[in-house]
Amino acid sequence: MSEAPHTVKSYEEELKNLNSNIVKMGGFCEEALVKATQAIISRNSDNAETVIKNDEKIDKFETLVEQQVVNLIALRQPMAIDLRETVTALKISSDLERIGDLAKNISKRTLLLNENLPKNLIDALVRVSSNVQKQLKSILDAYLDRSSAMAVNVWEGDEYIDDLTNLCMQEVIKYLKENEKNLDDGTHLLFVTKNIERIGDHTTNIAEQIYYLVTGEYLEGDRPKGTEPVVTGEK
Amino acid sequence: MKKNGVNMIKISAKNVDVFYGKKQALFNINLDIEENQVTALIGPSGCGKSTFLRCLNRMNDVIDICKVQGEIVINDFNINDKGCDVVRLREKIGMVFQKPNPFPKTLYENISYGPSIHGMAQSKQEMDEIVEISLKKAALWEEVKDRLHEPGTGLSGGQQQRLCIARAISVQPEVILMDEPCSALDPIATAQIEELIDELKKEHTIIIVTHSMAQAARVSQRTGFFHLGELIEHGLTDKIFKNPDNTKTQDYITGRFG
Ligand SMILES: Nc1ncnc2c1ncn2[C@@H]1O[C@H](COP(=O)(O)OP(=O)(O)OP(=O)(O)O)[C@@H](O)[C@H]1O
Ligand SMILES: [Mg+2]
Repeated sequence: MSEAPHTVKSYEEELKNLNSNIVKMGGFCEEALVKATQAIISRNSDNAETVIKNDEKIDKFETLVEQQVVNLIALRQPMAIDLRETVTALKISSDLERIGDLAKNISKRTLLLNENLPKNLIDALVRVSSNVQKQLKSILDAYLDRSSAMAVNVWEGDEYIDDLTNLCMQEVIKYLKENEKNLDDGTHLLFVTKNIERIGDHTTNIAEQIYYLVTGEYLEGDRPKGTEPVVTGEK
Repeated sequence: MKKNGVNMIKISAKNVDVFYGKKQALFNINLDIEENQVTALIGPSGCGKSTFLRCLNRMNDVIDICKVQGEIVINDFNINDKGCDVVRLREKIGMVFQKPNPFPKTLYENISYGPSIHGMAQSKQEMDEIVEISLKKAALWEEVKDRLHEPGTGLSGGQQQRLCIARAISVQPEVILMDEPCSALDPIATAQIEELIDELKKEHTIIIVTHSMAQAARVSQRTGFFHLGELIEHGLTDKIFKNPDNTKTQDYITGRFG
């Protein structure tokens, strides 16, 4: 937001409110990913259930943000930085809502996993997740600080997430091939891994939005890409 | 007209300073106005928008204490030169004011006045045509064709403003200056005028002063922002309203001023 306050105070309040709803929503998403990951590590079903339940809160925030954005556009006709604030809030909230959904999906699958999964699998998974957590935290900080530099950092960081995801996928595929009995858990784990990676992708989308919000320009160039994804089926 | 996809410059203001007595109202204004485009001038009250507009057809001449310095080049000719024929100039540069100001005459006479003093019609029939075409272009013909010999002051505000626009275009000006033309109009009349502006820009170059940011954004391709007698920023309207370079511009258009 610009330094100077709006002459119309209620307008100023509405924009601040929109902003703080995004921050709160982001906080819930962060928490969801942390809890979903803890549930995998410690096989704690309470955590998983909390994530599933809290997703409703995130969905409600999305609706709230959407209503606020529509009101701002209809009643205030925001311009320049205010217009970018308003439009990016809408887009960021929809990415955050997807993040919430993905965390919920991870938790649902976690509840179905067996107790004793090989440690190397859990480790690989946690490695992806904790890096995505870092990305998500950074991007929420970037939003708070209106920092395009931090946004670019996160954007570039997605390549590493893709690499970690591929490594993790390879572990899971190895595990799948070891024994037919591993089929159920292995399949869930593939989806869990993929979902964590998707959370990273949404984080990258948010980075693009923040860059636009701050600079008024679009992040140029191709999206960072890691190594090619592993092919799962045998030829 | 476009040359290599770039609009030609119709008016070029170079180092323009304006004084009212000792008080300076405009400071070193440099602005190119593109042909067949709508340029919006915005800025807080008293920043010099009307003063600048009046420089473009030497309307400031009629204000005794007003002194204009610098060059206003239109069609490669500096209109501030001594040799400038001011009557011809005002024929080429028409003006529409904030308050509709029809002459206390009939609709027909309101429009025929300009063309007749400029000797543009050889016969009654030719004059009839000019009146009809002007009213049609101003999107007023259908509403008034049966009452052309009634007084122009009997029209509604929005109709009067369109009559003034018809009057301005009747002499086929190259440039039309509009100083807050919609400030007294309802949203429908405003929309009609805005549609008209869009239409008129095919044949004319238009400069419009407006206090409505939304209107500037809607009707213009270029926008200039004035503040305290200075031209702070000018450029593509799209850019000015989405991502202006100057914080003052941003503060003004987003309502963060003062
Ligand atoms: N005839 C005049 N005599 C003396 N000072 C004048 C005259 N006309 C304008 N001014 C001064 O010149 C400055 C610019 O006035 P101008 O009318 O150009 O502003 P503006 O941007 O058109 O404002 P508004 O949006 O209120 O119409 C103001 O300080 C005004 O007081
Ligand atoms: Mg004025």
